[in-house]
Amino acid sequence: MQPSAKAFWVPKAGNSVEEYEDASAHSDHRFAIADGATESSFSERWAQELVKQFVVQPPEHIRNSKIPLKEWLDPLQKQWHASIPWQRLPWYAEEKARNGAFTSFLGVEITPAPSRFRLFDLFRRRKGTQWHAFTVGDSCFFQVRNDAVLKSFPFDKSEQFNNRPLLISSNPSRNKSVWKHIKQTEGACDVGDLFLLMTDALALWFMKENEAGRKPWKTLLEINTDKAFANFVETMRKSSALRNDDTTLLICHWKD
Amino acid sequence: MAYTAEISRANPSAFIFLIDQSGSMLEPIAGSAEGKRKCDSVSDAINRLLHNLIIKCARGEGVRNFYDVCVIGYGAQVVPGFSGKLAGRDLVPISDIANAPARVEERTRQVEDGQGGTVTQKVKFPIWFEPVAKGTTPMGQALSMAHHILEGWVGRHPNSYPPIVINITDGEATDSGPAPQAEALCSLCTNDGPVLLFNCHISTKPLEPIVFPDSDDDLPDSFARTLYHSSSLLPDGLRDLARAENLDFGTETRGFAFNADLVELIRFLDIGTRASNLR
Repeated sequence: MQPSAKAFWVPKAGNSVEEYEDASAHSDHRFAIADGATESSFSERWAQELVKQFVVQPPEHIRNSKIPLKEWLDPLQKQWHASIPWQRLPWYAEEKARNGAFTSFLGVEITPAPSRFRLFDLFRRRKGTQWHAFTVGDSCFFQVRNDAVLKSFPFDKSEQFNNRPLLISSNPSRNKSVWKHIKQTEGACDVGDLFLLMTDALALWFMKENEAGRKPWKTLLEINTDKAFANFVETMRKSSALRNDDTTLLICHWKD
Repeated sequence: MAYTAEISRANPSAFIFLIDQSGSMLEPIAGSAEGKRKCDSVSDAINRLLHNLIIKCARGEGVRNFYDVCVIGYGAQVVPGFSGKLAGRDLVPISDIANAPARVEERTRQVEDGQGGTVTQKVKFPIWFEPVAKGTTPMGQALSMAHHILEGWVGRHPNSYPPIVINITDGEATDSGPAPQAEALCSLCTNDGPVLLFNCHISTKPLEPIVFPDSDDDLPDSFARTLYHSSSLLPDGLRDLARAENLDFGTETRGFAFNADLVELIRFLDIGTRASNLR
């Protein structure tokens, strides 16, 4: 089985492409999405750093109950700090940047089942393949199987979204309350499964559509080009079905 | 629904601060251990608020023009209140304010040292607005000037979140204000609702402040009741934000503070100037 993944994104209407602050990255078995906070400065590069690093090297012991996120973030925070042109920043930009950049983060890793089952899995077309996801904030993950949402993470219902999600900061002193709010979950992969990672505006639309029984993944599966995604988002924004925000979709179809 | 417009560079919002600069503003404010004068407390609060607004609008290396801001002083005269390069200008885009403080003071503040203690840290404190206290209280004229400035503004920004006017005073108007001028001001509107007027009475007396009341029952005199009734009801969005901080405001809560001390003045300005959907 091989996943076939594709990412689509558009900035918030009224903002330029350079002002897009979401990020996504994927390899053949790792997928990550992040939503840099609009109210913080230089959050786009912070969001980018996290998703890129996750794909290259996710936090160790990702499947343990306590993900050592602090150690994983440490070099990324230093990298972010070193990337800021402190010397030429005016007083307000410096003060803002010292507060730190903030982002949501959601990472999914697909791993083969434990080795003692591997032979068995081969016979069973590797049905033992597992996925594991962890998140901070309000970026979302959905697993669709047999034309229904099998897993919705970290929220089960659309009303669970709020305007003040807890976010990961580039400033270590601002992360004290983050550690106990890391959420994680896992499940099994099967042929035909569809994995969808979304930032909050699209995720909210997706959940509301699903709650109304409208199978929104079918709409998303029909999108094959960046232009088609941009058209879809523009139409949804015009009808107020989608909040005007940076919008990112990472879609992965687990095919035979 | 009113007061839901997104605040963006294409559709910015506006603040106007009306500052009482009458002679009585030289008296000490209630709640200040050092006997700080009312005019100094107000100018500090306005400078701090401008600072916070600029930081809120700062992105990357610049400031996004989410707001136009005006400060009007009323006392011996009714005039725009910015000092330095901005002197004489009324509504100024927030990025221009960020780049043109009249001067920058260095002050100290206590910050956490990360090990359970505190350390003294030097911070930059930009000044745009200087304390003035002279003359009478022509509040009606000040409200009329705000009306005049905003009349053109709402015409140019029909889809914007409505402007918020915050009037800070320590006493009764000495002209025909404030009721008729306040009513005229609040009749201006964008497609997102009428202009909001919040009034803050600051105090010399160490009496219990009444902040964001939902009736005039506990107000002591007719002037306070007039100011209360000329203050706007808090929009749902602002009430929700206040509720998130455990401040439970009812649907009749008005943007009014009576006998506010220094702490209440800052809290009032903080709540009054928030908008939930800044993007």
